[in-house]
Amino acid sequence: MTIKNKACIVGIGSTEFSRASGRSEIHMAVDAAMAACRDAGLKPEEIDGAVKFGTAGQTSTEFTTETDVARCLGIPNLRYFAEAPWGGGACCATILHAALAVSAGMANYVLCFRSLKPASGTVRYGRPANIPIDSHWSYTMPFGFASPTSWVAMFTRRWMYETGATNEQLGWVAIVCRENAAVNPRAIFYGRPITMEDYFNSPMLCDPFRMHDTCLENDGAVALIVTTPERAKDLRQKPAYITSAAMATGWDSYCMTSYYREKIGIPEMEEVGKELWRQSGLTPKDIDVAQFYAAFTSLVPMQMEALGFVGVGEGGPFCQGGDRIRPTGELPINTSGGMLSESYIHGMNMIAEGMRQIRGTSTTQIKDVENVLVTGGLGVPTSALILSQGR
Amino acid sequence: MALELNRRYLKYFFEPVAESFEEGFWEAVKQKKLVFQRCKECGEFLHPPRPMCHRCHSYDLEWVKSSGKGSIYSWVVFTREVNPLYRVPFEVVLVEMEEKGVRFISNMAEGNPEDLYFGMPVEVVFVDINDEWPLPMFKPVK
Repeated sequence: MTIKNKACIVGIGSTEFSRASGRSEIHMAVDAAMAACRDAGLKPEEIDGAVKFGTAGQTSTEFTTETDVARCLGIPNLRYFAEAPWGGGACCATILHAALAVSAGMANYVLCFRSLKPASGTVRYGRPANIPIDSHWSYTMPFGFASPTSWVAMFTRRWMYETGATNEQLGWVAIVCRENAAVNPRAIFYGRPITMEDYFNSPMLCDPFRMHDTCLENDGAVALIVTTPERAKDLRQKPAYITSAAMATGWDSYCMTSYYREKIGIPEMEEVGKELWRQSGLTPKDIDVAQFYAAFTSLVPMQMEALGFVGVGEGGPFCQGGDRIRPTGELPINTSGGMLSESYIHGMNMIAEGMRQIRGTSTTQIKDVENVLVTGGLGVPTSALILSQGR
Repeated sequence: MALELNRRYLKYFFEPVAESFEEGFWEAVKQKKLVFQRCKECGEFLHPPRPMCHRCHSYDLEWVKSSGKGSIYSWVVFTREVNPLYRVPFEVVLVEMEEKGVRFISNMAEGNPEDLYFGMPVEVVFVDINDEWPLPMFKPVK
């Protein structure tokens, strides 16, 4: 038994992405939720389920609850509510929860949302004050080891050593994402492509990561609506079918600091991959375009290896020169610019981009898209989805 | 180079906190001893410490003094300040200890970032952070 074809995404809503939104997280969440309802052709009061984000173990910037949104939208009753934890790892898991809920009859229309205000709000990522007293941080924070950039840099350096991957190969990931963002008017990096020289000249933040290896920090919200294929027939948009959806922790998992297991890379994504391919009956060759969660450049080639698109040690060379990951390449990636260049909404903007590829409305549209892969954040328990055209 | 603290910002030191089953580790650190938890039943080392052996599920666990020796498994170099207590640049190292299966996050108390390499032998040295807390850090084995 699988979730295949039992649920679909029917609405995308988004705010603008900015460095200073001028309004609160709740306000942005409501704006995105209303936009998703309009996009789907639903009245807000028809929403009867909601899935929010959590970060589980990090002090929350998740001030906006599902009840805040329900109250503001005039939703009479949420008969299903859930939270997907682990920050970016949660993004595809929100859709997984929603798909379970609608396919089991627990709700008709489930709203999944993320509102973030790290650029102009009071809580910013990667600052010491953002970490609560939780004993596993005692093995990292007292040593000044205190930023997401550094935590991912630690397993990235080991991966680079084991596979021979280079900073130049990572630079190509940054360049291609910027190229895609450059033609996307929603993107923070709209109209601003970069060169390899720009990449190498950008300041070193935490060796081996330079500024252009790291994601954006911006304000914004994205909301998505999930329902059943039967209900989708009566709505405005072409639905994106959920062909598979998976979550995984892997062995001996910590929040961002899983350094004690045999592999310190991203084994949770290997587990997610096994499940994605099992449920869907697809293989990496069937994926027409991939939206890889890339809070950091290295996570793109690392995921290619973990999910079986290429062999171990081939991810870095696959990115070299950029052509194989460009829109015309074998595996186009992050067509909106993704989290390195469009917007950092913990991956929810990448699910929206996956849907645009199914609808045929991306600013970097790939031809004849049948299946789209979207993945969740790494270094934490994670999730992923395959979205497909309906049959 | 190694780690240099800007002691004006000692208030930003993240004081270790411990669950009940971790207290033995941090109490030893305060006495400038590095110990790791080991299962008396199956011999598995457990770091960070746990309430129970995750391999054989025994509760019969003990604290074993570390040899203090290991090798560099990976590292990063902070070049932009995140916490003003820690002057940049400084290294954070992931040390693979001689005790099987134990890795440990720490700093280099001596040496230069550019001299680090995979498999480089290092040994523990305790550095006083404040009146209460010494921390186990590492130096190259001469």
